[in-house]
Amino acid sequence: MVTSLPYFAFIAVPALAALACPFAARIKPRYADILANTALAVGLLTALSFIPEIAKPLTLQAWNMGTGLSVFNNDVFSLLMLITVYMVALCTAFYSIFHEMPDGRRGVWNALILVCAAAMCGVAAARDFFTLYVFVEVTAVASYALIAFEDRRESTEGALKYFFLTAPASTFIVLGVALLMLYTGGTSFGHLAQAMSSSGAGDSAVAIILGVMACGFMVKAGLVPFHGWTPDAYQSAPAPVSALLSGVVTKAAGVYALIRIALALRVIYPAHAANAVGQALMFFGALSIVIGALGAVYQRDFKRMLAFSSISQVGYIVLAAGAGTPLALAGALFHLFNHATFKTALFLNSAAVEKQTGTTDMRKLGGLEARMPWTALTSNIAILSTAGIPPLSGFWSKLIIIVALWKAGLQSYAAIAIFASVLTLAYFILMQSRVFFGKTPEHLAKVSEARAGMLLPPILLAAVMIAIGFYFPLLFSNLVEPAAKAFL
Amino acid sequence: MNPLLLPIFLPLIAAPLIPALSPRIPKFRELTGIFISIAVFIASVSLFRETAAYTVPWAGFGFDFTLRIYPFAAFILCAVSGFAVLVSLYSSVFMQSKPNADWYWFSFLITLGFANGVALSDNLVLLLFFWEGLLVTLYLFLALARENTECKATAMKALIINGVADVLLMVGIGITGCLAKTMSMSSIAVAPLQISGWGLAGFLFMALGAMAKAGAIPFHTWIPDAATDAQLPFMAYLPAALEKVLGIYLLSRVCLDLYSLNGSPAMKIILMTIGAVTILVAVMMALVQSEYKRLLSYHAISQVGYMILGIGTGVPAGIAGGVLHMINHAVYKSCLFLTGGSVEHRTGTTKLAELGGLAASMPVTAICFVIAAASISGIPPFNGYFSKELIYKGALDTGYTVFFIAAELGSLLTLASFLKLGHSVYFGKKPEAAPEVKEAPWQMLLPMGVLAGICVVFGFGAKLPITLLIEPSLAGTLSSLPEHLYGFHFDKLFLLVFAVIAAALLNHWFGVRSGGSPQKASEHIHHAPVLGTAYTLAKARVFDPYDQGMTLTFFLGRGLYVLDRVFDFLIDTLPTAITEYGALLVSKFHTGFYGYYLAWIMAGFILLALLVSYTGALP
Repeated sequence: MVTSLPYFAFIAVPALAALACPFAARIKPRYADILANTALAVGLLTALSFIPEIAKPLTLQAWNMGTGLSVFNNDVFSLLMLITVYMVALCTAFYSIFHEMPDGRRGVWNALILVCAAAMCGVAAARDFFTLYVFVEVTAVASYALIAFEDRRESTEGALKYFFLTAPASTFIVLGVALLMLYTGGTSFGHLAQAMSSSGAGDSAVAIILGVMACGFMVKAGLVPFHGWTPDAYQSAPAPVSALLSGVVTKAAGVYALIRIALALRVIYPAHAANAVGQALMFFGALSIVIGALGAVYQRDFKRMLAFSSISQVGYIVLAAGAGTPLALAGALFHLFNHATFKTALFLNSAAVEKQTGTTDMRKLGGLEARMPWTALTSNIAILSTAGIPPLSGFWSKLIIIVALWKAGLQSYAAIAIFASVLTLAYFILMQSRVFFGKTPEHLAKVSEARAGMLLPPILLAAVMIAIGFYFPLLFSNLVEPAAKAFL
Repeated sequence: MNPLLLPIFLPLIAAPLIPALSPRIPKFRELTGIFISIAVFIASVSLFRETAAYTVPWAGFGFDFTLRIYPFAAFILCAVSGFAVLVSLYSSVFMQSKPNADWYWFSFLITLGFANGVALSDNLVLLLFFWEGLLVTLYLFLALARENTECKATAMKALIINGVADVLLMVGIGITGCLAKTMSMSSIAVAPLQISGWGLAGFLFMALGAMAKAGAIPFHTWIPDAATDAQLPFMAYLPAALEKVLGIYLLSRVCLDLYSLNGSPAMKIILMTIGAVTILVAVMMALVQSEYKRLLSYHAISQVGYMILGIGTGVPAGIAGGVLHMINHAVYKSCLFLTGGSVEHRTGTTKLAELGGLAASMPVTAICFVIAAASISGIPPFNGYFSKELIYKGALDTGYTVFFIAAELGSLLTLASFLKLGHSVYFGKKPEAAPEVKEAPWQMLLPMGVLAGICVVFGFGAKLPITLLIEPSLAGTLSSLPEHLYGFHFDKLFLLVFAVIAAALLNHWFGVRSGGSPQKASEHIHHAPVLGTAYTLAKARVFDPYDQGMTLTFFLGRGLYVLDRVFDFLIDTLPTAITEYGALLVSKFHTGFYGYYLAWIMAGFILLALLVSYTGALP
C-alpha cells in the first residue's frame, strides 16, 4: 500500500503545512513550530519505511518517460534524496524551536523551511529537466528569504550574492533545457537518454546541451570556480539555515541534477568515464576538493571554514559522479547522505557555539570542550567522520569513492582524493584546537552548555554516523549495492 | 611438588621477599641468601644420582616446559649451587655496608634460580628463556653496584655485548629447532645434526652464543670493566664461576649432543683457533695490568680459551679436559677473586702499587692465593695441571702442534703474571703508606679455604673428579673414554712443566731487576718494540668491538639524523609550505567582491566549453 503512495504526497504535505503555518502562528507562535516539526517528522518516518522495499530485487526502468512526476518506488536515488531532505529539514526545524526570533515571525520562518523542503522533494521527484528547473528555483527563492531573514547587513549581502551569482546559473539551465527541447522535442530525462543513444558518442550537440546545463548546476552546487556565493551565504545566514543550505539545498539544487546527467551519460558510456561531460565533472570536482580544502585552512570564522569544507566535500561527490561507474555512483550517493549528516551536525553546533558565546570568530574561541562537552563531542565525531577516519561513516564513503576511482583507471584522481583528505584533517584539526581544545580563555569561563533540545539533533546525527560506520557491511549489501546495481 | 622444580623455584620465590622484608628485619637478606643457597645445594646433591624428566605443556608449538636431569646436568647443578653457597657466605660480610645490598641479594637468588633452570632445561626455548633471564640480573648486578655513572655505562656495555650474543644464540636455536623439527635436546641428541649448510649456521650461532657467555674473545671486553666497577663477590660468582660453567656446559652440549663436531674438521679448527687466540691475547693483557681484580679478570677470559680449545679438539681426552678445566677454573678463579676481595676488605685498595708484604699479616689469605695461583698456572700437583694436561694431549692428538704450543705459552705467561701479582701483594716490601691490617673474618676465609682445599683435593691426579663428575657426564655422548684420564704421568709433558717454571722465574727475575720493583716485573714486555704499540692501542680501546661499534653507531646515527631531516623536509616542511602558500593564495582571492565571483563563473564556463570540445573530439 505504502509503495503505491504517490510521490506527490511528499511534496504536497509540507506545502500545505507551509500554507497553514502563518495561520497557526497567529493562534500561538509555537503552534507553527509544532506543525512544521510534525509534518517533517511524519514525512521522514514514511520515507524511512520505504527502505525495506529497496532491499528487494528491483525491476528498475531507466526512466519513467513522459510524465513530469512519477511514483518513486523504482528509484533508490530519489528515496535517498527524500530521506536526506526530510532528515536535514527536520533537524533544522527542530533546532529552530530554540532559535531566538521575534514571535511574530515564527510562522513565516517555518513556512519557508517547509516550502524549501517541499521544493527539494519536487526536485527529487522530477522526471524532466524543466520540472526540475522549476523546483530548483522555488528552493532558491525560499533560501534567499531564509538567508536574509534576520535583517542584518551581512545577511542581506549574502542573500543578494546568492541571488546575483546564481542568476547566470538559471540562465544556463534554461538555455540548456531549451536546446534539449529543440534538439529532441522533449525535456524529460528519457528524451535526453534517447537522444544520446540515437546520436552516438561523438555528437557535439548533446555535449553542448549537457555542458551548458552542467555549468548551471555546478553554480548551484557551489563547485570551484562557480562557488563565489557559498562562503558569504553560509556565513551570513542564520545558523540553522546554514545547516539546511550546506546539508541539502546545494545538493538538491545542483548535485542531484549533476548526478542525473552522469546517469544519463551512463546510457551511452556504460563502461567508464571516457566522455567529455564526465571528464569535465571530474575535473571541476577535483578542483573543488583541493581549492575548497585550501581555502578552509586560513579561515578565521567557524562557519566560513565549514562553508569551504562543504565546497571540498561536494567536490568528492561530483568527482565520483563524473567517474560514472556503478561503484563510484554508489559512493557519490553514500557520501551525499553522509555529508548531510556531518555538515548539518557541525553547522548546528556552530549555531550553539554562537548562541552561547556570542561569536563564531575562532580567534576569540577556545577550550570549549570543558564548558560545552556535548557540543565538543558531537563536533569531534562529525569532524573525524568528515576527514574519513575509520570506523565512522565518512571513512566508508570516501573509501568507496577512492576504490571506485582506482578501479576505473583514474589513479591520479584517486591520489588527489586521498591527499585532499589529509588536508581535510589538517583544517579540521585547526578548528578543533581553536574552538574546543586547549585552555578556556577567561572571557569564556562562564559559558554553559547549550540546552538539551539544541543538543538533540547533533547527538542523533553523531549516532547515525557511528551506527553507519559500524553497520556499514550490512548497509553496503542492503542499500549501496542494490543502488549500484540499479545503475547498471 | 616435583623435586626438579626445587632448585629453580626456591630461589625465585625467595628473591622478591628480600627487597620487601629486608628494611624491616635485620640480617634478613644475608640469612635468606645463605639458607636458600644451602637448601638449593642440598636439593641439588640429592638429585645427583637421578635420571628423570618433568614436562608440562607451556607455550605450544613444541615449546614445552621440560626439565631433565642426568649426570652432566646434575654436575652443573651441584657446581652452580655449591658456588652460590660459598659466595653467599662471603658476601654476607663483604656486602654488608655496600650500596643497594638488597638488590644484590635479590639478583643473587634470581641468578641462582635461572642458572639452575639453564642446567635443567631440556627444551631449547626454555633454556633460552632462562639464559636471557640471566641477562637481566647481570644488568642489575652491574648497574646497582655503585652510586656512580661509570657502573651504569659498564652495565649497559655488558647488556649490549651479551644481548648481541644472546640474539646469536636465539637465531642458532631457531635454526637448530627447524632442522631437527623438535626443540627437545634429548630428542636431538639421539641423532645429532650434521654441520653443513643450515646446520653450519645453526652450529656457529649457538656455539658463538655459548662461548660469548663464557667470555671468549671478542665478547670479553665488558669483564675487565666490570672488575673495576662491580662489587667483588659478583666477579667471583658470575664471570669467574657461573658464566663459565653454563657457557662451557652449553658449548659441550652443542658440540656433542646437538651437532656432531667430529664430522666437521673445519669447525674444529675454528673452535681451537678461537680458544688459542683467547688464551694468548687475554693473558698478554693480564700480564701488564697493575690492579688486582682487573688482572684476574683477564685471566678469567684467558682460561676460557683452554676450555674451548679442549672441546674444539673433538678428541675424548681434550673434551674431558675442557669440562674438567671448567670446574677447576671455576674453583681456583673464584678463590683468587675472593682473596682479592679480602685484601680489598682489609686494606681498602686493590692497586698493586699500594700493596705489599701482606703474607705476614694475612697468612691464610696468602696461602689460599698461592695454592690457587699455582693451580691456574698449571703447576703440579694442583688441579689446574691435570685438566691442562688433558687439553695438551687432546691438542697433540689432533696433529696441530701449533695449538699445543699456544697453550704451553699461555701457561708460561700465566705463571709470569701470577709471580708478579703474588710478589707485589703478598711478598716484597710493604709500602710506607699502607696501613697495618689483620686477617680477614672467618666468613671470608671459609669459602676461600674450601676452594683452595678443592684445588688440592682435585689435584694429585685424583680419581674422584673424573669418575664422579666427568666420566658420567660424557658417558652418553662420547663413545669411548680413554683409560688414563686420572693419575700422575711422568712423561714429556710433565718434564715440560719444569721448563715452563724455569722460564717464568727467569723472566720474573729479569723483570724485577730491570723494572726495580715487583709490580713493574712486566714492564720489559709492556714496552717491547711491537708489543708496546699494541698495548697502547688496546688501552685506547681500539680493539674493543663494543667501543668501535659505539663509535660506528654514533656516525651512523648522525647520518640517519641527516637523512631524517631530508625526509622531514619532504613529507612535512615542503607539503606544509605548499599548502600554506596555496591556502594564502586562495583566501586572498576571496575578497567578497561580487564582480570577481561573476568573472570566475564566466571563466569556468569557458573552461568547461574548452574541456568539452577538447575531450569530446576524442573517440
